[in-house]
Order: sequence, then C-alpha cells, then structure tokens
Amino acid sequence: MRTRVRAGESSAFAELFDAYARAVYNHAFRLTADWSTAEDVMAATFMEAWRLRDRVDPEGGSLRPWLLGIATNTARNQYRSNRRYRTAAGAAAAAELSVPDHADEVADRIDDRRRLAAALTALATLRRPEREVVALCLGEGLDYEAAAEALGIPVGTVASRLSRARRKLRALAAEEPEKAGGNREGGRTGRQVRGDHTHVVRPAQGGNR
Amino acid sequence: MNANTSRQSPAEGEESAQLFARTARDLPTGRHQFHKERLMARIHEARQEERQAESPAVRRQTERQAERTAGAPGGFRRLRLPRPAITLPVLAAALAGVVVTGVVRTGGDGVRDGGGVATGPALTTTVGAATTKGLPQLLDQISLAAAEDDHPVVEPGQYIYIESKAADTFLKTVGDKTTLASHRLHTRQIWDSPDGTKGWLIDPAVNDSPEGETLSLPDEQGNTPRAHLGAPSYDYLAELTTDPDELLAKIYEETAGQGNTPDQQAFTTIGDLLAESYPPAELYSALFKAAAKIPGVVVVNDAVDAVGRHGVAVARLDETSGLREEWIFDTKSHVFLGERSVQVKRLTGTDALIEPGTVTYTSAILTRAIVDGIKQTPSRSG
Repeated sequence: MRTRVRAGESSAFAELFDAYARAVYNHAFRLTADWSTAEDVMAATFMEAWRLRDRVDPEGGSLRPWLLGIATNTARNQYRSNRRYRTAAGAAAAAELSVPDHADEVADRIDDRRRLAAALTALATLRRPEREVVALCLGEGLDYEAAAEALGIPVGTVASRLSRARRKLRALAAEEPEKAGGNREGGRTGRQVRGDHTHVVRPAQGGNR
Repeated sequence: MNANTSRQSPAEGEESAQLFARTARDLPTGRHQFHKERLMARIHEARQEERQAESPAVRRQTERQAERTAGAPGGFRRLRLPRPAITLPVLAAALAGVVVTGVVRTGGDGVRDGGGVATGPALTTTVGAATTKGLPQLLDQISLAAAEDDHPVVEPGQYIYIESKAADTFLKTVGDKTTLASHRLHTRQIWDSPDGTKGWLIDPAVNDSPEGETLSLPDEQGNTPRAHLGAPSYDYLAELTTDPDELLAKIYEETAGQGNTPDQQAFTTIGDLLAESYPPAELYSALFKAAAKIPGVVVVNDAVDAVGRHGVAVARLDETSGLREEWIFDTKSHVFLGERSVQVKRLTGTDALIEPGTVTYTSAILTRAIVDGIKQTPSRSG
C-alpha cells in the first residue's frame, strides 16, 4: 500500500479514502467542533495526502496515523486561537442538545447527542496540543507511538500531554454532579454560547426528552 | 490497510475511553461519494498535467517549494475544478470568526419560538439601495486614498495594534428555543507581531477573562507557523504581489472550495484583510483594485459603521446566505471606516428570525498603530 501511495496510484487513494474518510471526518470534527468544517478538512486532508505522497515512509504499517496527522495540521489552520474553538464547541454542543419537539428520535439517538455534547464540552476545556493528543489517542484509538508519528513529536510528549489532559478531564467529571442542580436561565448576554456549555453535561431534562 | 486500533491499557483510559463512545458519525448522505469522486478527478487531472509537463519528481519539488513560500492549507493550488453546484459550508466564516449566524442551525426546523431566555436586542438598520453606478470611480478613489496613506514600517519586536468597536447579532439556541441575541457594542483590541507568531486579544465578546488571551502560536513541533490569506501575518502581506490581477488570481486559487461561492469568498477574504490588518500601502491599494474585478460588487450610498459614522459602502450580496457584506468608507476622504454584514434577503425556517435589516456583524476601526509591546497602546488613545 505504501509503495502504491508513493507511486501516486489513484486506486490506492481510492482505497485510503474508503477506509479512512469517516475516521478523518470524525477526528476533524473533534478538532473543529463543526461538522461542515470537518467535512472541508476531511476533503482537504486527502488532497494534501496526495500532494505529500512522496514523503510517506516506504516502510511501516497502516497509513491511518499519517492521514490523521495531516488532518490535525489542516484542522489546526482553522483556528488561530483556542477561543474560537471554545465558541464553536459551545455552539455545537448546544445544537446537539436542542432536539426539535416533533422529532421522533429514539432514546438511543438522543443519548448519543448528549454524549457528543459532553465530549465537546470536555475537549473545550483542554489546550489545543492536549486536545489533539486526546482526539488521536482516545477519539481515534491510536497508541502513543502512532500519535507521536502523526503529530511529529516525541512519544514522551504524547504521554505527558495525555496524562495532563486526563487530569483535567477527571477534574471536569468530578465537577459535573454539582452543576446538575444549577439553574436553567441563560448566562449574561454575550456570554451565553460558552455559558451554555458548562451545563450541557447535566442529565437530560425538559427539552431533551 | 487495516485500521490501527491499538488502545491504551483499559484501566488507564477507562473514563476517557467512554468519552467518545458512540460519538462518531457518518458523513452526510452522498458526501462520501461526492468527495471521493472529487479527489479522484483531481488526482486524474494532476497526473495528466504531470505527464504533459515536467517529470513528476521536479513537479513535486516545485509544489513543495510553493507550499513553503505561500503556505496555504489545503494545497493543490494548480488543480482547479469548476465548483460543483452544491453549497459547501462556510469555512471562511469560521476562519474569520465574523458572522456567527447559522452555527447553531442543526436544531433544524420545528423549533418553537417564544421568549424566556436571555436575549440581547437585535441590531437593525435600513437596508440601503445597491447600485453599480459609480463603482469603478469609487474604487479608484478609495485605491488612490489608500496608496497615499502613510503606513509605517513594522520592525521586528514591534507589534501591530488595532483597536475597533464591534457588535453582532446571532441565533442562539437554548434547549428547544432559538432566539436572536447580540453582543453589545464593545471594544476589541488586538496585537500581532509582524511574523504572526505572537499576539494578544482583548475582546469581551470572546475572552473568558478581562485581561484577554494570547494569540501566540505555541510551536511545540518546532515548525514555523505558516501564515496564509485567511490568517495573514504582516510579513506575509508585505511579500504578497501588488499586481491586482495576480493578487486576485491568488485569492481565488487559495480560497477555492471555501465559502458559498468563489466570488463571494474572494470578496470576504479581501474584506478580512482590510479590517484587521495593517498591510503596506501598495498592497492596500492593490486589494481595492482587485475587489473592483469581482463580479457582483456594488455601491451602497449610505452605510453606517459600528460607531455611527456614515459613509459610502462597497458591498456584495452573498446569494446563499442573503447577507450583504459592506465595507464602509468616509464619503470625502475615502478612508476605510469599518465593515458590516446586513441581512438583505428573507430566510426560511429558524433562520427567518434574522429578518431583513438585521445587522449580523458590524465593526469600526478606531486605531491602527505600531507599538513596542503587547498590551501597549499608542499614547493618544491612552
């Protein structure tokens, strides 16, 4: 496969796309908090992969970490600052939780929406380098070596970022029950997008039936 | 081509492993195939070009050099397909962080209206009449005024400081209710180093803390962050061509695939460069000459910036979103005052809450200066 990719065989890229487009799409979403941006990033990632094909090491295993690494770089260019990510994550989480009344979605689906909102809320508490490692290792299940390869950083750095991120996530999880009793009124005008996302991990209520 | 699915040790990743359980989604219907075909078409085209042109090795090397100097994400500069008639999402809106409208749209229709949640008043205006009459003359005058402006040179270690006032209106969804909300008019201050690697932002609409937050690019990988048209540094702008045709071609090329239409995206890209950057005078002037060549650009004879200064606007209607982006200039001096986005066309569904006349974003540039440090402001403004 690596040889075929390096040679620029279009069939190899077709296979890559079929195998990994979905993973790249979801990874990009975790890094951009916006589905349509994620789609753009996904498309750009494969274009970029084609362009960078001769940088692929001839030896090695799956090309998935390589693609996820390109996606990470591409997604990074979408946000110059973390605040934009947090704003997007807040909005996306709120959108996940705003299920239309008439929707006859099954409970599972609604539960999935809540999970996604919670995941975004968690990701928004992290710094970008931590978020990237979390998205690769926990979101896409890469091991430390693969994540290190994807990001072009030492394995030890991956491990330390991940452990720092985990501490933050644990702290967040510990805070949640306290917030469950919080009031439902919106925050101050002008803050509400991000004000909301501190609430989204609460148990379903009202509109989330 | 097996997926690499090796996991962390179960004990370690317990709580975090479930964080992403069942959060993955499929691409929207048809999009997998759409993007795959597009990829294949581009590869096919590129390979044919390569065969006709130089040897692949030389070609790829050239590409890589181009990438290093131009440094745009997404690459594939020389391969362009006609844009499909499908409206791709507004990547640029995310990049520019300008219009927040529509971000929370996924709640879909059927959202009940009604009060009870925190709302700011919507900003509204009278939609000015658009005309193409006098456009070339106006842009000429603006371009001339821009060329005369004395833009100082930024030394390394100094910062470009831009102070503006901004406000916006957006759709806000809480629970099952979507309403219009707004960020009140507030001061926004931004500092950027010429190379774009250091910066600071104070904007109460986006910061958590009143001190603001850093825009510096943490560079854990030892790479030099690459500036591009969507996130330009001063140095990057200083190196851009000042030939209007080349500039416009570059803008179209590098924003291909972004925005609602290529023309609108080119217009928006130039608008973003005007508002919060301090490019050399020659480039500033060239940007207006380039804008004059974009189809659909009009003149709006009365427009008001965020602090109430009246002027004449160069504008373009985004047919997809129904928003008209207006760059506002002083009627006499033709100095750039600010920009705003006005909803011109009526929308349907939840978006109908944004009625024609709603100002979804407005800004006024108050100060552009070169300062010696982050959080320093020029003496005259405090």
